Amino acid sequence: MPIPRRALVAAAVALVLPLSACGSGDDSGGSTDASGKIEGDITFQTWNLRANFKPYFEGVIADFEKKYPGTHVKWIDQPAEGYADKISADAAGGTLPDVVNVSPDLVAPLAKAGLALDLDKSAAQYKKEYLDGAWASHQIPGMNGTYAFPWYLNTGPLFYNKSLFKEAGLDASKPPTTYDELFTEALQLAKKSDGKVATLANVPTIEDFGRYGVELMNKQGTGFAFNDAKGVELLTKYKELYDAKALDPQALTATPESSGKKFLTGAVAMNPGSALDLGNFKKQAPNLYRNIGITDQITSTGKVNMYVMGVMVNARTKHTPAAVAFAHYVTDAQNQMSFAKKVAIFPSTAGSLDDPYFTKEDGTDETRVRIAAAKSLKNAVNYTPVLFSEQMKTALRNEVAKALQGKESPKAALDNAVKASDRLLQQQG
Amino acid sequence: MASPSSTARVPRSAARGRHPGSATREQGPGAPRPGSRVRRQLPTSPWLFAAPGILVVGVFILYPFVSTLVNAFTDRRTLMPGEYVGLANFRELLHDEMFWTGLRNSTLYVLGVVPALVLLPLLLALLVQKNIPGITFFRSAFYTPVVASIVVVGLIWVWLLDERGLVNALLEAIGVGKVGFLSDQWLLLLSAMAVTVWRGLGYYMIIYLAALANVPRELHEAAQVDGAGAVRRFFTVTVPAVRSTMVLVAALSSVSAFKVFSEVYLMAGPDGGPAGEDTTLVMLVQRTGTGLTGRVGYASAISVVVFLVTVVLMLLVLRADRKEET
Repeated sequence: MPIPRRALVAAAVALVLPLSACGSGDDSGGSTDASGKIEGDITFQTWNLRANFKPYFEGVIADFEKKYPGTHVKWIDQPAEGYADKISADAAGGTLPDVVNVSPDLVAPLAKAGLALDLDKSAAQYKKEYLDGAWASHQIPGMNGTYAFPWYLNTGPLFYNKSLFKEAGLDASKPPTTYDELFTEALQLAKKSDGKVATLANVPTIEDFGRYGVELMNKQGTGFAFNDAKGVELLTKYKELYDAKALDPQALTATPESSGKKFLTGAVAMNPGSALDLGNFKKQAPNLYRNIGITDQITSTGKVNMYVMGVMVNARTKHTPAAVAFAHYVTDAQNQMSFAKKVAIFPSTAGSLDDPYFTKEDGTDETRVRIAAAKSLKNAVNYTPVLFSEQMKTALRNEVAKALQGKESPKAALDNAVKASDRLLQQQG
Repeated sequence: MASPSSTARVPRSAARGRHPGSATREQGPGAPRPGSRVRRQLPTSPWLFAAPGILVVGVFILYPFVSTLVNAFTDRRTLMPGEYVGLANFRELLHDEMFWTGLRNSTLYVLGVVPALVLLPLLLALLVQKNIPGITFFRSAFYTPVVASIVVVGLIWVWLLDERGLVNALLEAIGVGKVGFLSDQWLLLLSAMAVTVWRGLGYYMIIYLAALANVPRELHEAAQVDGAGAVRRFFTVTVPAVRSTMVLVAALSSVSAFKVFSEVYLMAGPDGGPAGEDTTLVMLVQRTGTGLTGRVGYASAISVVVFLVTVVLMLLVLRADRKEET
């Protein structure tokens, strides 16, 4: 039977459609002018917050809708796992919500694709409400503008197991604060425990290089530079730890969950975390909880690492004034302070960290952690370069693993990691 | 009985005693006349019946397939429409160390898993084929891993093989000492293969059970009368009788082994083990092509290679089968 003409047309369409993917993207977008009337339906997406903070967000949304009649906010929440993939699928499919919870590394590719609204143009009047460093955290090297409102900040404390320190003959009241102290004490702990207790469960990340004082990128922000002498020195020290089993043998394949579990079981003496973990220790490992020590992140620069969350406005929103107003509303001083009292996060708004809530002791562990973290946040640095993508992180982890296994020298491993990261940076355009 | 070739030469209508040209007249007075409106609409009906299937295949198989082929020749990224780059992605593959690591691991996976999945389920099927009391329990038990979630199964095996897990505790108790199942590159790959084989046993066992049910009992009895023992009967009666099923199992398991993702991802972690040394090709596709900075074009080129190798694997299995027949 001859093939019907319609079938031929359908087949041709099926073949030609994918070719359209090679064309230019849809440039039709919303206005950058946020000065109009605040009205319309907008969508707000958060990152794994519904489970614990549903009443808080429902309250914020209800207050906003009351303040601006004619607006309606639809709130959606995505699980933590695969969040970047969800955003990329939405962005590629043209279904990105109007207001999106992001981190600086997620904003960079969205801004480059023209999907993040430049707040220096559309919402410059709000800039003075935020800490300078926090406002700058969503600026992209090579681009002019700021692409998200800063939201909450965090800097996790470092937990340590006092009894393991005591057993190794270390002073449990004076945990290490610099990398040099950490390396010395970790080697002693491994030696005394006959290699059964490691001090760390994770290989060094880009933040470790930053806290060790390594220059991560060149001054122009056009290439990576963590393969300098200081970077090689850090990796060489980690290799010593790995050989002495002061770095857990499974560190090369560790995830935050697996290293947390090792800390709970006493296989590892130190682990980064947040104030939320204290409740977890109390419930799952009461013995550990009785011996828990809390200290600042290890740093040789005097400045700890700061994690920044942001709220981005979709550049293609049909309701720019409402989306900008809502993103600002969620991140203003009042709402950030209110959120900080519900969970261990810190506001990015100017002056908020001077509130008695972040400065006055009440004798509890939680408050002690909060005050210490708020204090260290005042001069904290977001060490992760915003252009350091997931693929670059993988390249660094793989090369670090080769160096720790002795398959490559630390110098060769870091040279390769920088080379791979630079190539990926160029491919990002 | 007429040979197939003789009947093939005779038109079917003639074979039934009808004149080839009398077909429409014999359909009765209600039959449509040639050229009538009803007659012209008839060819549309099969297309309408097939439309849902065609639509599903077109949208979920054909379109992604063609799209992947096209993307493989572009530098498309997740958020950036690509430009045509010819064979640049394939040239880059040749110099990509991780691609060769992935190809090596996927190939080793086929070599390690397929022989085990062809042979072990057959032996298992022979064991549970017998009708003895309580055998249904064992049949169900062996099939359980197939229906269990791979994520759950993967996590259980990770707990078992951990440095402080049950297996290492037992090994330490008998004086062997700790074994780095989840930290050594090769042991990790072997552990993942073991999980794949363990999971696949029940599935292929069911296929073999169906094939074994068709093996005439008389053949075994005759061989037994001739003095053949159990091993001899296995090789001279059972294996030839289920050979076509073995080829099917080999084809199915080699394709799925080459495309392995979940087991290695769960046991070796998202990076593919220490220094990414346990990365398989499909893991590399996922890692390269997803996320906001994903290189869709390059990942598509790797997918095309996976497709071509899979086709070659199938052809090799079929060719081996044909050779065996001749």
